[in-house]
Amino acid sequence: MNVTRRALLGSAASAVALASLPFEVTAAGRKILIMASTTDIASFDPHVASGYAPAMLLRNTYDSLVRVVGTPPVVMPSLAASWTVSDDKLHYQFKIDPTAKFHDGSPVTAEAVVYSFKRIIKLKRGYSWMIAGVLNADSVKVIDAQTVGFDLLAPFAAFLQVLPYMFIANPKIVEANIGTDDGQAYLMANTAGSGAFKLGRVKPGDLYEFIRVKDDWHKNGGNLEGAIWKITRESSTQRLMMQRGEAHVALELFAEDMAALKDAKGVVSVIEPEYRTFSIKMNTVKGPLADKNLRKAISYAFNYQGMLDAAGPAELMVGPLPTGIFGHDPSLPVYRQDLAKAKEYLAKSAYKDGGFKLSILHAAGYENQRRWCLLLLEALKTMNIELDIRPATWPDTQAAAASADTMPSFYCIFQTANYADPDNIAYAAYHSSRNGQWQNPVYKNVEVDKLIEAARVEIDPVKRADLYKQFQALVVDDAPDLFGVLEKRKLAFRDNVQNYVFTPVAANSIELLPLSLA
Amino acid sequence: MFLYVLRRLFLLIPMLLGLTVIVFAIARLLPGDPVGLAAGPNATPEIIASVAKEFGLDQPIPVQYWNYLTGLVQGDWGVSIFTRRPVFEDVMTYLPATLELVFAALLFAIVVGIPLGLLAAVYRNGPLDYITRTVALGGIAMPRFFLGLLLQLGFAVALDWLPLSGRFPLIESTPEPITGLYTIDALLVGDWYSFTIALQHLALPAFAMSLSPLATIMRMMRASTIEVLQQDFVMTERALGLSSRLILFKYVLKNAMSSTLTVIGLYVSWLLGGTVLVETVFDWPGLGLYATQAILTQDFMPVIGVTLVIATIYLLSMLVVDILYGVFNPKVRYA
Repeated sequence: MNVTRRALLGSAASAVALASLPFEVTAAGRKILIMASTTDIASFDPHVASGYAPAMLLRNTYDSLVRVVGTPPVVMPSLAASWTVSDDKLHYQFKIDPTAKFHDGSPVTAEAVVYSFKRIIKLKRGYSWMIAGVLNADSVKVIDAQTVGFDLLAPFAAFLQVLPYMFIANPKIVEANIGTDDGQAYLMANTAGSGAFKLGRVKPGDLYEFIRVKDDWHKNGGNLEGAIWKITRESSTQRLMMQRGEAHVALELFAEDMAALKDAKGVVSVIEPEYRTFSIKMNTVKGPLADKNLRKAISYAFNYQGMLDAAGPAELMVGPLPTGIFGHDPSLPVYRQDLAKAKEYLAKSAYKDGGFKLSILHAAGYENQRRWCLLLLEALKTMNIELDIRPATWPDTQAAAASADTMPSFYCIFQTANYADPDNIAYAAYHSSRNGQWQNPVYKNVEVDKLIEAARVEIDPVKRADLYKQFQALVVDDAPDLFGVLEKRKLAFRDNVQNYVFTPVAANSIELLPLSLA
Repeated sequence: MFLYVLRRLFLLIPMLLGLTVIVFAIARLLPGDPVGLAAGPNATPEIIASVAKEFGLDQPIPVQYWNYLTGLVQGDWGVSIFTRRPVFEDVMTYLPATLELVFAALLFAIVVGIPLGLLAAVYRNGPLDYITRTVALGGIAMPRFFLGLLLQLGFAVALDWLPLSGRFPLIESTPEPITGLYTIDALLVGDWYSFTIALQHLALPAFAMSLSPLATIMRMMRASTIEVLQQDFVMTERALGLSSRLILFKYVLKNAMSSTLTVIGLYVSWLLGGTVLVETVFDWPGLGLYATQAILTQDFMPVIGVTLVIATIYLLSMLVVDILYGVFNPKVRYA
């Protein structure tokens, strides 16, 4: 590069001038929504990826047959303009919107839907667990070019609720890049969808850019030209970005951040109940906690009000299901601190004199969870039981859940319902087929299993609600968990973000299409 | 000298080999279930087994190590269980950001620390010496992440002089990638706008990183300068009528540099391995964050890859330091 003295001086002067410019001045006027999150997006494959960050990418670059919106979540058309359901809930037919098209311009057809479901079922990854035992490779059929039929293996009351996670991929693109792994290597880093947005810049660990598709087939969208998912690992930085207007949405704020943003100019706080619960799991198979009376004694000794006071925006759980979800029994008698009853059950147990030590794992870095463990320590002291509190990373907690031998006496977990149906939580957290997994490491009750299985296929809502009522009563009686708090989702928006509607499932997987920037 | 350099480069191989054994053993012997984590929270045992097979984790550990080593020789650093991308690609993606931060921090520390150390020695026990001592104490004592947060609050939030975080404005296109270092890439194509913007974003995290090495370099320079100033040849040069500036910058500096050079060399690897907190505060997408994520998810291929990269850079930087000894001090020569 040949640099003259004049050029150098001129450049230096320009640099000084530029250095004095506000560094975001070129952002003015563009309708690009910036979302700040701590979570990276490891894979773009719609039939492999899972987690809230990939779900955000998938729901904006792909479409599913239906979507859910609002509180309570209502199933709305997406790729499917309409659908019919047989009386026995075994047969569904969806009419695909004739204007729907993939990013390459080709129409979304019934063939594409069948192809995508076959791929989901074949790969057995991502969200395929939601339709395990419900559909097989022959269950999904082309009726005609724009109509697809589903023949369920058994009635599944939550079927429409899980369909938003079954994304439809362009078979032409996948087949052209099929490789030896059904296109996984290609789709991990590329998209083949019909969503309102396509991917622009992709910088793993830094940002993901979404660009509004030209001639998009979707109707009634907002005015966003694009969006950026910015990885911002400190919640304090997210908070400052919100205050400065450098981000429009902050997705992972703590209670302290929300308190700090309460009166911040231009910031709107969204704090809403979501189906997200915190429980302390107990080792019901090995060690002292195999004794049901001891578990009940601990459940009565625990300071639930103290837990709520330390939780920030939250409410106490009433049983194993999140409040507000279908089938939840708000009148269920649950454990609240009652030291007299605690003593009563302790006396019935084999450990009435205490004199031993239990252990608990909590998520490293989560101060709230550590405080809740201290409340448990306090409760156990009243029974002459010590508690060893240990922080653990998530892989260590998962490994601990593998069996009764590896599981400590207690460990702490948050659980979030992926879809607005009690089956989601009941099956994952209390069915014995899930033993060895973090949501249900060891708990087993044959009667509870039967109730969950019966409720899963029951299509009469009244009977179904009754089955869940019985399920909740049995689980509370078994006391396999300390049922803690229902944390409220905490989001912050800039006040120029319009048309946002809170939905208590996947609330932080922001759907971009309806949004506008004033 | 050439043979010496060649010998040192050859010695890299057994050292790095030994390192792979240690890191591989530690990573694989840690308790935890990275496969279960990568397979997803609702994965069935069949899915977990399939993921384990995909990554060769169903093999015995010595077989896994041998497969890794043979792959390494062919340029295959393994695949991240979490991102499913080749580790080499990931490292090449994140490394330039960290190198830019480290070089900027070190450059600032050297450019400011060495002259200040010299002057503190010349004017020792004067006001400048006391100021530099205070700065040094603060620089070493202050945790980098805390300093980073203070800088954000001061310069970004209160004064609005500099950006809060990130390497570049979110909606702008970054400079054409040549080295991956935005400032260098912008300079190479004469893009002053991008250079200025990148420099603005680099300023606060680089300063936060630089304070500790600046303090150490300053103190080391001061101490060795004081020692050299007391030597006979300095008195001789003064007696001969040479100017103070000439004595200081031509003769004293060269003789006092040796121990400071060692510290600078050590700081290269210290900074490389210690960027994670600053990268976290400033959302700087570098190797520190990548390695931390890998450690927390027990994704051991990236952990080994990052360790090897940092170790290689450290060994090479020490080689450069040894060569520079010879440049500054002709009495030091290598056969």
